[in-house]
Amino acid sequence: MIHHRALKGSGLVLAAAVLSFACGGGGGTSGGTSGGDKGTIKIGVEMPLSGTEGSQGQPILKGVRFAVDKAGGSIKGYKLQVADYDDAVNGVHDPQKGAQNVTAMAGDPKVLTFVGPLNSNVAKNEIPIASDAHLSMISPANTGVCLTKEQPDSRFPFDAACGGLAAQLRKGNPNNYYRLVTTDDYQGPAMADYFLQILKITKVAVASDNQTYGKGIADAFSAEFKAKGGTLVGTRFDYDQQNTNDFKPWLTSAKTAGAQGVYVGGVTSTKVCIVRAQMQGIFDPATPFGGGDGIVQDSECVKAAGAMSTNVYASIAAVDPTHVPSAKATIDAYKKANPGPNDYTAYSIVAADAAGIEIAAIGRAIDAAGGTLPTDPLKAREAVRAELAKTSNYQGALGSTSFDKNGDTNVKIVSIYAYNSSNPDDANNEPWKAQVNYGDATPTVQTS
Amino acid sequence: MATVVGALRQTRVALSGQLGAWVFYGIGIAAFVLLILPRIFQNPVLFLQTLVFGLTDGALYALIALGYTMVYGIIELINFAHGDVFTIGGMIGILLFSLLGLVPNKAASVGLLLVPILIGITALTMLITGVINVVIERVAYKPLRHQPRLAPLITAVGMSFLLEGIMFVWHGPNFVQAPDLLPSARFSLLGANIDTRELIIIVVAVGLMLILNSFVEFSKLGKAMRATAQDRDAATLMGIDIDRTISVTFFIGAALAAVGGLLWAFYYGSLRYDTGFGAGLAAFTAAVFGGIGNIQGAVLGALVIGLVRAFNDGYGSATWTDVIIFGILILVLTLRPTGLLGMRVPEK
Repeated sequence: MIHHRALKGSGLVLAAAVLSFACGGGGGTSGGTSGGDKGTIKIGVEMPLSGTEGSQGQPILKGVRFAVDKAGGSIKGYKLQVADYDDAVNGVHDPQKGAQNVTAMAGDPKVLTFVGPLNSNVAKNEIPIASDAHLSMISPANTGVCLTKEQPDSRFPFDAACGGLAAQLRKGNPNNYYRLVTTDDYQGPAMADYFLQILKITKVAVASDNQTYGKGIADAFSAEFKAKGGTLVGTRFDYDQQNTNDFKPWLTSAKTAGAQGVYVGGVTSTKVCIVRAQMQGIFDPATPFGGGDGIVQDSECVKAAGAMSTNVYASIAAVDPTHVPSAKATIDAYKKANPGPNDYTAYSIVAADAAGIEIAAIGRAIDAAGGTLPTDPLKAREAVRAELAKTSNYQGALGSTSFDKNGDTNVKIVSIYAYNSSNPDDANNEPWKAQVNYGDATPTVQTS
Repeated sequence: MATVVGALRQTRVALSGQLGAWVFYGIGIAAFVLLILPRIFQNPVLFLQTLVFGLTDGALYALIALGYTMVYGIIELINFAHGDVFTIGGMIGILLFSLLGLVPNKAASVGLLLVPILIGITALTMLITGVINVVIERVAYKPLRHQPRLAPLITAVGMSFLLEGIMFVWHGPNFVQAPDLLPSARFSLLGANIDTRELIIIVVAVGLMLILNSFVEFSKLGKAMRATAQDRDAATLMGIDIDRTISVTFFIGAALAAVGGLLWAFYYGSLRYDTGFGAGLAAFTAAVFGGIGNIQGAVLGALVIGLVRAFNDGYGSATWTDVIIFGILILVLTLRPTGLLGMRVPEK
């Protein structure tokens, strides 16, 4: 810590020395500084840009480009560029490739900060490398609890089994990892509140794939559902996804115990949507089925659930941009700039806000350094990182954003969607149903 | 110490015979009375429902287990690739149905033709999968027939990964959905809601086992199989074509697995490249449990595993299911190493 402060201090002295030569620089973003007379700053984008997840990564890259264009392609005399890095190997995100990408960014003195990654397990490999390079990062999509904190929200206690991961990843360096979506510990409770308050069902059977993510959200669901007066019926079913093929014995006994709905923690590839399919003949198709973001907007889930794919509710640990009134202008502008049918996802706008926060932090760092960033990339990145950490009430498309001491957003909103068609091609058109806000002491469920 | 070991050995010898069978049945009946009977009185409908699910799962495991047990019975090879032959059989069947336009999530519009189509495509799937397994045997096992036992075991493991790899390249990591073609009508049996698909699966599995049993007992090829299993050299001297007999064994095993794969896909809705790994392990366990090499034993073992799984999933806790199944397996095999109905393997 002290070591870095000393570095930053000397940077300030250096900056002060050149202050007399630098122009004022204030209000420079849209002030016609089209050239890069002070040099170039690159904002990295680290995403799976090819393969099956390319359809999620590309709209995020476009969101960052949109934000850079919106800033006029420059900041206080520096030219802004977007440098993209693809972490997909053989069509699937790869933690090793992600680590290589961050090493490449650390080796490019112009990259000061980046947006990414998409997947929590990639983040786990990237944070330590980025942390050593003082490279700050904002993920628009990671929801893994343990990346930022040791314990889930104390209102929804369950064992997240973090084992000090967040501290290990940062290796004693100041925090460099931030995110604009909230964490998995709110997803389960959001569905519990939705089941109780909106769907008005009080008896639910709960299962999970017995893996960290699935078991975690199922535990959090159960804790909230019980705490708010619901009853868990039947036995808790933590199945082995490799050996369990027949879910009907459990579903039948849950139905006999009076279950009005079923919640399963897990992802499409661990058979969550097959559980839904096998409810056919045991439960009425109108019976609600809940899950986390592991099954949301996923055509494979709709295929697996088949005729039972309606009334399947799933959550995303973020606000839905189309339900933020202030986001409409940004969405319209984005869609105008990116008119392709697959250019827009909810994450495009989140990514645009992430890049906007980074550009703002770069701007403040330039000002703090007296108009010119230190030439040593480590010092320049540290200056940006320190300003990013101070982000408070940033006014973006999605509203006001601040980061807490862990690097998590203060916006703790979970959106709930429901499949309304058994046509897999409609999976992305899963209608928004509600959002649950845990930012306040008493969570509220909003359906409009 | 020596006396303890001796006593244990004597117990084992005694239990391997008729006495062991009675001890096992005694434990089974005691478990039934203590664990299951109260459930029947508690909720007879749920019990019956769970029983049908368990029998259906068991019947599907049985169709795979027969292939393991036949191959082990004749050449003492644990054919690790058999589970993957099962999966590839199911996927070939799904492909053939899709060529006829019978794809998932679309109502079948073939009307009365459905039954002949089902039977015809299933027969074709059995044929293709059987031929694949015969080729596997010729390529990977036959050249190693007189080599140390470990060599074909490793080629079998290799073949398993090779088949999974082929299926991964073919269909990727996602589940392959199957059209739901088995006539599904629900009827009430003593209050339980039974699906005709469950009855079809149980009847097909038991029927195929009976056909296989009489084939092995009475047909000329079956006799050749039994002779080869008993003493390969003597069988050769009697003019039996060993290679052909072994090929037939692999063919039949794969054909049964292909039926299993198709029924599995219809009933559970989908298959994935690695489905055969878990299913194959359960089926192999069933074969050893029932007494490897023993056709009735494999079916009995599979039904026991299916029932234990269904009842524990329904009444107990899923996290314990595998622990209980393998706990029973260890108990049975330490007391009775030859399995429930006794091994039938080549004599030395």
